[in-house]
Amino acid sequence: MELLYLLVLKDLKVRYKSSVLGYIWALANPFAFAFVYWVAFKFIMRVEMENYSIFLITGMFPWIWLSTSIIQSTRVFQVNSSLVKKVNLNRAVLPLSIVVGETVHFLFALPVIVIFLAMAGGQFVHLSWIWQIPLLILTQVVFVYPLALMFSIANVFVHDIEYLVGVAFSMLFFATPMVYPISMVPQEYRPYSEASPLHALIQAWRTVLMDGTVHDQYVLYCLVWGSVFSVAAFLMYRRLRHRLGELL
Amino acid sequence: MKSIVVCKDLWKSYHQRPRIGFKELLVKRKTVGQNRFSREWALRDVTFSVERGKAFGIIGHNGTGKSTLLGLLLGTLVPDKGRISITGRVASLLELGAGFHPELSGRDNVFLYGAILGMTLKEIRRVFQQIVEFSELGDAIETPLRTYSSGMITRLGFSTIIHAPADVLLIDEVLGVGDARFQEKCKDYLIDFRKRNGTLVIVSHDMAALEEMCDDGVCLNMGSAACIGPMSEVIRHYQGLVHAAQSSTEVGLS
Repeated sequence: MELLYLLVLKDLKVRYKSSVLGYIWALANPFAFAFVYWVAFKFIMRVEMENYSIFLITGMFPWIWLSTSIIQSTRVFQVNSSLVKKVNLNRAVLPLSIVVGETVHFLFALPVIVIFLAMAGGQFVHLSWIWQIPLLILTQVVFVYPLALMFSIANVFVHDIEYLVGVAFSMLFFATPMVYPISMVPQEYRPYSEASPLHALIQAWRTVLMDGTVHDQYVLYCLVWGSVFSVAAFLMYRRLRHRLGELL
Repeated sequence: MKSIVVCKDLWKSYHQRPRIGFKELLVKRKTVGQNRFSREWALRDVTFSVERGKAFGIIGHNGTGKSTLLGLLLGTLVPDKGRISITGRVASLLELGAGFHPELSGRDNVFLYGAILGMTLKEIRRVFQQIVEFSELGDAIETPLRTYSSGMITRLGFSTIIHAPADVLLIDEVLGVGDARFQEKCKDYLIDFRKRNGTLVIVSHDMAALEEMCDDGVCLNMGSAACIGPMSEVIRHYQGLVHAAQSSTEVGLS
């Protein structure tokens, strides 16, 4: 537990210390993405949608949290191979430190999202966030951590996983209704979009951040997937953890 | 006296094709022929035990399984057959400063490294001052690690490890840390550690140091224990092996 705390602290310190504008840079990335898509889809493709910029921002931050957590975790055992080989520690803590670090990072970004919502007008702070945001954060961690652990272990055995994960996430970004609303998906494909737990997760964040309402079915759906992943990750870790030291 | 480290009939093999991937499938690298890394068993039927408060040396040529044995003792590797039992906490000097980060200060790194070694924050806080004193870093403890010389980094790593509570200390070729004076200090520390009933397991090629420090030892040869017994005897056996290898290559040359 304390190891986790110190590992996360290390990541955050390194990230915010090493460059003068550490915090700004960390925020710039999702904003830049959102801006690019806003220009591309609002002005060039002419997506007809109210509050399109807010729609983008509220989806983009949770998405970047999710994808960076998993992409970075995939390499975590390679990057920290000396810790795996030369120290006897609980190896599952390494991907967890990445996921928790990204979570803290997301929390730091929340005020900026709120400022953005305020600029766009409307009611921007909801009292119900006191319990809604922690609930969603918990849901997301339950959903993301098992995936991060499974990919990180798999990447030790099959080195190509890290590239596949990278490609998969750029594809999922467009497959998930992120830059377009689900209503634009053709009717016959819509069930697939709706079945995606990623869509449920992003949609849950959107409704909370934009309206202050929680859609139970989205959250429950993510939690169900999260539990399935957790069981799978637990079994995988228990079976393969002893071989990690040999293969790095 | 009760044995604190017991290894019984240890067998350990590494898989022939450790990593599968598209690259390997496409390139179809030929399976490596007969070299010493493709041997089937890294350790073959190794049995020994170490009593509390003793020092145990492990010697052998490169690639004969010394590091594998240490990995097994530490628990980062798991034996295929056989049994290991260690009573008490194990600390390793296998790699000094695994997990150090260059951007962080010496202080932050001590805390991080301490936690990696399994100490609680409270324990680290308690011994922090002693760690800094032992490492002789002084005020440099507050500057980022990247400004340190390599000697300073190993000193800090060594100081942190020896302040982690441990009953068994595993050492891999790190007796040559820092300058001569610091080496003396380390040696003194290890002697003191043994007086406090600590147990040492040392891998080294420094025969003189091993003879001085260790009571018993094992000489590994191609994964098997070629000789187990008092350290001086084991060293003699090893030197015999070295001579045999030399004369056989000489014969081959002529």
